[in-house]
Amino acid sequence: MLAVYRELEGSAYLLMHAIRRIGVLRLPPVAEELVRQIYFTGASATGGIVLRGAFIGTLIIAYVIEVLDADASLAVRLLLLVVLREVGPLIAAVLVIQRSGTAVATDLALREISGELASLRRMRIDPYDYLVVPRVIGMAVSNAALTLYVQLIAVGGGMVLASIVINVPFQELLTHFFFLASPLDLVYSLIKSVLFGAAIAVVACYHGLHPRGRSINAVPQAAIRAVTEALLLVMLLNVVFAYLVYGVAFFGLVTAQQ
Amino acid sequence: MSAVLGYEPPHDGAARERVWLDAPGRHRLSSACKDELLAALYDLRPRAGARLVLFGADVAALDQAERSALMRRVSFVPANGGLMSSLNAWENISLPVAYHAAHKLPGAAHEVRGLLEQFGGVDEDLLAKLPEHMTLYERRLAAYIRALLEDPELLVMECVGAGLGPIKRRRAARFAEVYQARRPGGTFVQLDA
Repeated sequence: MLAVYRELEGSAYLLMHAIRRIGVLRLPPVAEELVRQIYFTGASATGGIVLRGAFIGTLIIAYVIEVLDADASLAVRLLLLVVLREVGPLIAAVLVIQRSGTAVATDLALREISGELASLRRMRIDPYDYLVVPRVIGMAVSNAALTLYVQLIAVGGGMVLASIVINVPFQELLTHFFFLASPLDLVYSLIKSVLFGAAIAVVACYHGLHPRGRSINAVPQAAIRAVTEALLLVMLLNVVFAYLVYGVAFFGLVTAQQ
Repeated sequence: MSAVLGYEPPHDGAARERVWLDAPGRHRLSSACKDELLAALYDLRPRAGARLVLFGADVAALDQAERSALMRRVSFVPANGGLMSSLNAWENISLPVAYHAAHKLPGAAHEVRGLLEQFGGVDEDLLAKLPEHMTLYERRLAAYIRALLEDPELLVMECVGAGLGPIKRRRAARFAEVYQARRPGGTFVQLDA
């Protein structure tokens, strides 16, 4: 229990440090780290998302129209609710945990064990400034961008594929989309995805910077702990968000008092 | 008693001689307390009972700001170079300059070229290499040049020629000479095992 508290406290400290020291991004080496992080977490992850996103969108529309025998309006409404509010940010977060969370934890643990962090301190470079700040900001920004991308692909691709596969006029889906879409949903999911990205980053950085031991075995252990805790934290944040914004959590099992 | 660099190990019964360098210049130390001295120098925090003196100041008596100021005057090159694995040689060499004084970066590029030519015998592509593709000598040279760019009053280098072949060892032997040509009043300390 104490260990969990320490890990949460350590991760919270890293988040506060990243916010307080955001100005170090002006320094050229830190800015380069930020660009590397955004490229790795955001740009190079987009390829894997295209098919997944489009299939999810198609599946939702096809299921609602073909299986539930509902109309296109309900299909688009469900698509927007599911993809914009919940699935979009979650898919992006899971992808970031799977790719970047493991990479960051492994990379930092290796650097700690091999003495690179000590070397940075000797050059009067704070490892938190140089390594943590660009990772937290980079992953928060990249996760938000990936979420937008997932939403675009899932909604747009879903409507295009559905119009081909189940013979629903694309024009009709599009009309429903513009009628039902709310910018608030987009803002909500963006805020959520920024927090998801930052949460994944601080958990991965914490475990990377605090490997349990100095042997090479500590590296995969740090990665495993980072992935497990980041997933839990993202799920927890999702529940808190759903409860705070819509008054509903755990699929309606918990509701806010009116 | 004043010293450029002094280290007195704790009185714990183990037989280790103290390190005491009174004057600047070139020094070669082969001390039993090498690891202790390096650890103390690393973050200017000697272990309990030990005493570290730098430029005449007893480090234990200094506050954090004074220690930071003192650290700026000292550079350290570990035996493996201590380079960042994700950065190429040029990024590694220029890291402290880019971090602490980015305006000096264009001048540093010219300086690095000059220093590499002075030592010769290095790959044309050295600056683009990642540490994993560099030889031990190249890693040590990159770390040494990185330290030189910081223009330290005291440069401590661990195991200058250890693990190198005869040609590279002769080149590495010039590290002290080149440092002193750039910093005539400075102190170069070579720490051997």
